[in-house]
Amino acid sequence: MTASSAALGSRRTVVTTALAFVRRNGWTVALVGLLVAFLAITKLLQPNYGPAGIQGLAISILPIGFAAVAQAIVVIAGGIDLSVGSIMALASVTSAVLMLNNDDLFGVGVVIFVLLLGLAVGAINGALVVVTKVPDIVVTLAMSFVWAGAALLILNTPGGGAAPWLMAIISGPLGSPWLPKALIVLAVIVAVVWIPLRRSTFGLAMYAIGSSPLAALRSGVPMARSKIVAYALTGFFSALGGLALTATGGVGAPVPGSYTLQSVAAIVLGGVSLAGGRGGVVGPIIAVIILALVRTDLFFAGVDPNWSTAVQGAILIGVVTFGSLVAMRKVRA
Amino acid sequence: MTERRAARNRAMMVRPATHVGHRGRRKEEWQFMKRLKMARGLAAVAAMAIIAGACSATPGSSGSAGGAGGAGGATKYTIGFSNAGGVGNGWREAMLCSAKAQAVKSGNVSKVTIIHRDTDAPGQLSDIRTLIAQNVNAIIINPSGPDALNPAIAEATAAGITVIAVDASVTAPGAYNLSNDQEQYAYLGASWLFKAMGGKGAVVYMRGIAGHPADTDRDKGFQRALAENKGITIANTAVTKWDPVTATRQINDIMSAGTKFDGIWTSGVDSNIVDALKGANHAYVPIVGADNAGFVTQLLNEPGLKGAAVTNPASIGGAGVTLALQVLSGKKPASNTVHVTPELWSNEDDAGKAKLKAAADATLPPTWPLGLTIQDWTTYSKPELIACKGPGDA
Repeated sequence: MTASSAALGSRRTVVTTALAFVRRNGWTVALVGLLVAFLAITKLLQPNYGPAGIQGLAISILPIGFAAVAQAIVVIAGGIDLSVGSIMALASVTSAVLMLNNDDLFGVGVVIFVLLLGLAVGAINGALVVVTKVPDIVVTLAMSFVWAGAALLILNTPGGGAAPWLMAIISGPLGSPWLPKALIVLAVIVAVVWIPLRRSTFGLAMYAIGSSPLAALRSGVPMARSKIVAYALTGFFSALGGLALTATGGVGAPVPGSYTLQSVAAIVLGGVSLAGGRGGVVGPIIAVIILALVRTDLFFAGVDPNWSTAVQGAILIGVVTFGSLVAMRKVRA
Repeated sequence: MTERRAARNRAMMVRPATHVGHRGRRKEEWQFMKRLKMARGLAAVAAMAIIAGACSATPGSSGSAGGAGGAGGATKYTIGFSNAGGVGNGWREAMLCSAKAQAVKSGNVSKVTIIHRDTDAPGQLSDIRTLIAQNVNAIIINPSGPDALNPAIAEATAAGITVIAVDASVTAPGAYNLSNDQEQYAYLGASWLFKAMGGKGAVVYMRGIAGHPADTDRDKGFQRALAENKGITIANTAVTKWDPVTATRQINDIMSAGTKFDGIWTSGVDSNIVDALKGANHAYVPIVGADNAGFVTQLLNEPGLKGAAVTNPASIGGAGVTLALQVLSGKKPASNTVHVTPELWSNEDDAGKAKLKAAADATLPPTWPLGLTIQDWTTYSKPELIACKGPGDA
C-alpha cells in the first residue's frame, strides 16, 4: 500500500462515480451536449452573437421554462395538464391589474397572492380529476377554457402594469455579462422548490403513482392526495410562468400564447416519460433553451418560414425517437 | 398480516386502506387498471397531436445574406422587420412585400430579415431581441401593444438601432411612429355608416386584435361617431383578430342567433362578411370595410350592396423602410409620429365610385389591400410589390 496506489484508488472512485452519474442522468447529459452544439451553431451562423443574444434568450425562455417545470411535475405523477397556458394568462392578468399604480411592498403581496392563486387553481384541477375520474386530459382541456375565460373577465385587452422591481430582477446580467439574471431566477426558484420536494415522502409518492399506480395503490400510497398536490404544484409553477410573462412585457395579456403546447414539447425532449414516473425538471429546462435556439438558428440561417416549421417538428421527433431507441437497446442488453 | 400492513402504512405515512376482503379488493384493482389504460391511451394520442402542434411558431427570413457595400459604394444597411399577428391576412402580407420592394428600390439596403408569426407580446419581445442579436441597422415593428414592447425597443435604441413602429404607435421614447391616422379611419367609416342607416338602428361592431394600438385608436374614433349619433345602438361586438376565418364564424353565429342588425362596421376583414350575408340569404345592410381587393369588387358589382371602403395603405411597410433610411442617413423627421390621412370611397356617390373603379384590381387575392403605394414614401411600382422580392432574393 503506497501513497500512489491510494491516489489511483481514489481517482478510480471519482471516475466510477462520474460514470455512474452519466449513466443515471444519460438523457440530461446528452441534452447538455446538444445545447452546446446548438450554441456553437448559433455562433457560427451569427459570429457577433454575444452577451446581448444570451440575455435576450434567457428572458424569452423564462415563462416557457416555468411552464415546462409545471408540466413535468404533473406528468411525472402520471397526469397531464392542458390548462398550463390558461393558468399563466390568469396569473399574468391578475398580477398586472393588482400591481398597476401600487407601491413595491404591495407588489410583493401581489406576487404571494398570485402564487397562492396558482396553487388553488391547480388543486381544483387535481380534485376534479380525482373526484370525477374523467381522464386528466379531458378535465384539464375543459378547465383550460374556464381559466382562460376567467382571465378575459379580469382584463379583456392587454393592460395593467408590473412593479418596477419585478421587471428589474429578470433584466440585465449579474456579475459576468454572460450570466443573465433571468436564468439565475429560474434556476434558484426551481432548485428551492424542487430539491426538497424530490427528497420528501411526497416526492417519492409522486414518482410511485406515476410509474405504477397499481403498485402504489397496493403499497398504500395516498393516491388522491398525491395527485391533487402534484396538480397544485403545477398550478404554482404555471403562476410563476404568468408572473414571468408580466415581468417580461410589463403588462398582463389575457390571451395565452402556445405555452401549453410548448411545455409538452419541452418535457418530451427533456426526458420526461409521458407514461409517468420518469424524468426530472433539469432536462425540460435545457430542452426549452434548445427549442428556442433551434428557432433562432433557423432564423439566422435564413430558412424559408414554411420549411422551418417542418424542420422544428422533425428535429423534435428525431431526437425523441433516437433517445427511445437507445433506451430500448439498453433494456435488452 | 394486519400488523404488517399497519406497519407498512405507518412507514408510508398514510391512513389505512379502507377496503377489506380479497374479492372486493381485486375488483377495485381491476376497475382501476381499466380506467388507467383508457386514460393512458387517450393521453398518448393527445400528446402526439400536441407535439405536432407545438412547433407552429414560424420565424421567417427574406433575402440571402447580401454583403455590405455594393453598387456605387453607397452605404448599405440591413433592416429587420417584426410582425406578430395576422398571418394569412392579405394586408399584413402586402405590408411585408411593400417593405421588401422599397428596400430593393432604395438601393441602400443589403438585406431585409423578417420575423412573421402569430404570437403575443412576450413572443414579439423575443423576436425583436433576435433581430438585435443579428446586429441589423434598423428594426421596423408592427407592434402588438403600445407599451409591452418597450423593454426590447429600449435595448435596440441603446445598441444604436433605429426603431420604427408602423401601422400603430408605441410609447417607447426612442422609437419613430409611422401609421395611418387610425382614429380618423374609424370615425370616417362609422360616421358614413350611421348616416347610411338613417341615424337609427343597431350596428354590428367587428373589431381587430384586442390591445393592438391601431384597434384601440379605431375604437376611440368609432365611439366618437357613436356618441354623435344617439339613435344608434350596438347589436354585437366581435373581436375578429383580423382573421378572415374567425370573422366569418362570428358573423354566422350572430345571424344564426337571430340578432337583428341594420349595419356592419368592420375593421378591414370585410369581403368575407359580405360573402357570409349572401351565403345565409340575409338582406344586405350598409357595411364599412377597407380598400381591400375583394371588398372593392363587391362594392362595384354586387347588386343592392351599399357600402364604403376606407383607405388603410399596407404600403406603410415600405414607407417604414423609407423613414428608417432617412433616419439612418441623418435626416430625422420633425416629430417622431407621422400620420397618413385616410380617405373614404362610398359606392353611393359618383366621386367614390370613380375612386373605387380606379383602384379595383380583380387579379389580386381578395384580402389584399389596394393602397399599394403612398406618394412621397414609396417609389416601387405595383408589379414590383406583387413580386414580393427583397434584396438578394432570387
